[in-house]
Amino acid sequence: MKRIIKLKVNGTDEEVLIEPWWTLSRVLRDELNLNGAKIGCETGDCGSCTILVDGKTVKSCIYPAMKAIGKEILTIEGLEGKDGCLHPLQEAFIAHFAVQCGFCTPGMILTAKALLDENPNPSETEIREALIGNLCRCTGYVKVVEAILAAGEKMKQSRAKTQG
Amino acid sequence: MALSTIGKNVERVDAREKVRGRALFSADVKLPRMLHARVLRSPYPHARIVRIDASRAKRLAGVRCVITGRDVPDARHGFVLFDQHILAKHVTRWAGEPIAAVAAEDIDIADEAVDLIDVEFEELPALFDAEAAMKSDPEVIIHPDLFTYERARKYAFDLDKPNVFYHHKIRRGNIEKGFKAANLVMESEFATERIQHCAIEPHAAIAEVNGNESVTIWTSRQDIAYLRNWIGALFGFKPSGIRVVRPYVGGGFGSKLAMVTEPIALILSQRTRRPVKFALTREEVFLSGGNRVPMTVRIKDGVDWEGRLMAREIRAILKSGAYSSVISIIVRNCSFGAVGTYRVPNFTFDSYGVYANEPPACNFRGFGSSQVVFAIESHMDMLAEKLGMDPVAFRKKNLLEEGEPNVTGEIMHSIGAGECLDKMAEFMEAPSKTKQQGPFRKGRGIALGNKYCAAPTASVARVKIMEDGCLAVFHGADDIGQGCNTVAAQVAAEEFGVSVDRVKVVFDDTFLTPFFNGGSTSSRVTYHLGNAVKLASRDARNKLFRLVSKKFHVPIESLETRGGDIYAGGERKTSIVELFTGFKADRPGGYGGYAEGGEIVGEDVFVQEYTPEDPETGQIDRAAALKGLRLVSFWTYGAKAVEIEVNVETGQVRVLRSASAMDMGCPINPKMCEQQIEGGMGMAIGDALFEEMRMDRGILLNPNFTDYKLPSTMQMPPMNEVESIFCAAPHKDGPYGAKGLGEVAFVGLQAAIANAIYDAVGVRVRGLPITAERLLEALNEKKGP
Repeated sequence: MKRIIKLKVNGTDEEVLIEPWWTLSRVLRDELNLNGAKIGCETGDCGSCTILVDGKTVKSCIYPAMKAIGKEILTIEGLEGKDGCLHPLQEAFIAHFAVQCGFCTPGMILTAKALLDENPNPSETEIREALIGNLCRCTGYVKVVEAILAAGEKMKQSRAKTQG
Repeated sequence: MALSTIGKNVERVDAREKVRGRALFSADVKLPRMLHARVLRSPYPHARIVRIDASRAKRLAGVRCVITGRDVPDARHGFVLFDQHILAKHVTRWAGEPIAAVAAEDIDIADEAVDLIDVEFEELPALFDAEAAMKSDPEVIIHPDLFTYERARKYAFDLDKPNVFYHHKIRRGNIEKGFKAANLVMESEFATERIQHCAIEPHAAIAEVNGNESVTIWTSRQDIAYLRNWIGALFGFKPSGIRVVRPYVGGGFGSKLAMVTEPIALILSQRTRRPVKFALTREEVFLSGGNRVPMTVRIKDGVDWEGRLMAREIRAILKSGAYSSVISIIVRNCSFGAVGTYRVPNFTFDSYGVYANEPPACNFRGFGSSQVVFAIESHMDMLAEKLGMDPVAFRKKNLLEEGEPNVTGEIMHSIGAGECLDKMAEFMEAPSKTKQQGPFRKGRGIALGNKYCAAPTASVARVKIMEDGCLAVFHGADDIGQGCNTVAAQVAAEEFGVSVDRVKVVFDDTFLTPFFNGGSTSSRVTYHLGNAVKLASRDARNKLFRLVSKKFHVPIESLETRGGDIYAGGERKTSIVELFTGFKADRPGGYGGYAEGGEIVGEDVFVQEYTPEDPETGQIDRAAALKGLRLVSFWTYGAKAVEIEVNVETGQVRVLRSASAMDMGCPINPKMCEQQIEGGMGMAIGDALFEEMRMDRGILLNPNFTDYKLPSTMQMPPMNEVESIFCAAPHKDGPYGAKGLGEVAFVGLQAAIANAIYDAVGVRVRGLPITAERLLEALNEKKGP
């Protein structure tokens, strides 16, 4: 039986009519038209559907939508500022050519955000470990790691500026 | 004149929408009243379909249509050889072959309906082994009517081999004499397994049939022209009635050429009069999305004591699978891996495409070259060792030179291989940064790869000058992630002296974009599209200058444009914006056409000519060759070197450092070239060390990312240990001297890794992937009991 649930997505309260077994990725994509979470495997392996739930990475293709009730959901669509300003990670992915086909990119960026929020100074190894569940067939990951290191550095500097 | 945009690291034109998650992919397309499709696949590798009963499925609420083999066209399709139906009719030839399809109101209902289709099968004996498939009296004949099948061009079957669908030959010099004259003759066999492209985006298509006259297909593809031809041929739509919308594509690597999803969605849409989406699951991508054809390559080389190749004989068997797909062409083109690099006075090449009851192979980055080059470059190291020669010096001694004919008689041009090798020699000689310790043994290896680009093709582009001085480039190439939209924008920007952000690219709809055959295949887009956009830009510029010349009474030859302004004899005369009537930035609604009426659109076609080879000898016509006609568009090269470590206790191999010296001609966008090189490296590491579709008597054991290991961040060498070096040999026909790069980036590294393993532990593994198990077994064998 379908039921109405309330989800908080990118700061907005949304009401959706869903079957209780539906995954979060299905609800985001098919009910809310948030297509940024991509479906690459539906087994939680490729990471293209990665989003943040209460700041933690979640493979939304295997995460029940019901489980997200009462939690803060962040998708790639919610990452840029209200003025359309890109997040430093998005800027770094562009500047460092970390984007090719772009299918894994939203998941990569959100995984990186969760990492940098928790660990503002990650080493290359820590970045690689954080990205282990995000598969990319185009890049060989080199420029992705580069971009995340650079974004971390930038975010640190801007924090220092606002604090100083 | 110095270039302003070409050769610069211009921001990718697609990057902003991609980091925002706004780039549209096929699976994102939703249409009103859209149905969802699923297919039923054969569980058996070879079986007769005795009976299909879909009545239970049809009765399920929400099911709108069920189709079986009876409902699909009788005509078979394929690339050269037409051997495949859209759904199996009577016989299924691989475990995974689609035999029925359902369209339902939602995907859950479609899933349930597929389970409700009852099929009675009669299992047939099946064939899995390539050598067995070569027999004259095989136990199983997979296509009993093979010799009657239609073909795109007539070619001779090997009538004594009923499972062989294609045989390609090259004959040059006198092979017996060559071996007789050689001081050293060595023969080895190499093998590669089936691997999957694993583009992270699974194939997806939506078809909407409008009346009986036209159809619109949204799809994830890398060659639109091929799809349009077949949709026309199979379903009777006229070209004007077939519209293909191909938004961004989440990686291709060859997998998105064969028709996997589109015809099924189309038939279901025809039957239901509603749009139908058919998106593959990952498991289905593994089962039916194509794969790299497994090859066994037997290679026999003769050399003299000086290290000159005297004779080379190669026999390759390509085990396609249940259908030939594009493998007929790969059977021919895999030979180019043995053609483009070395001088061999006496040469024979025989390659065979064979059927087996396994998932059909298709195009795969390298198009046969990665497998053949793995064999050759492993063998080159083995020969060098026997001769006591340095592997780089041995290779350099045998390199083809500018102006020299290769083994097909084609006169070579633009060969950067020597310089690439020199760069890698430096890598090989540099001292190691870390020490060897514990169970770890370090080694270094080198290999040289080449990749041709196929000919002939025609590529059209249009360039429109917009009222605000911006340009719109219309092209039909597929941006599957390689970044051709950025290349197109860079070329137009260069020709008009404007920045790339003033160029818009329209690429995704065949009702708007011009003809582009060959698609994003064969590393062809930079060269062919680049040329087409350059020509079209010049056409638009000439039209603009004619207008200005008439209006201002200045000679055309004196005109130039940059930054949106037009100069006559070096003096600013007017601007593109001023040429438009009524345009005033402060007057809304003022946009309009030119004072003289109309707008300016430039268009041109770039045709790559070629001369075909003789099918019996593989030789091209000498007179044509001397006139400059080639068999291919161009050749690209890359030398790869790696440092690896082997854990002798576990057999595990880790790549510590990787360097690639590449000749892709002049780089249009160096950072985007690095993207290809690094991505090719990642894919080649997987191919070399662990990727494999594991088959058990026709059943695929690992159709998912849990069991099929894709390289992750952890298998890549550290960021600072990945080096990309450009050794451009400019091509006279390339746009600004550019060639291509996508495939050669993947070719050769596999052999470099195998050579490095030999260097580390003295064990030569002749089969890919060199898994820990395989290497440990080889190490134990070497140790003895």
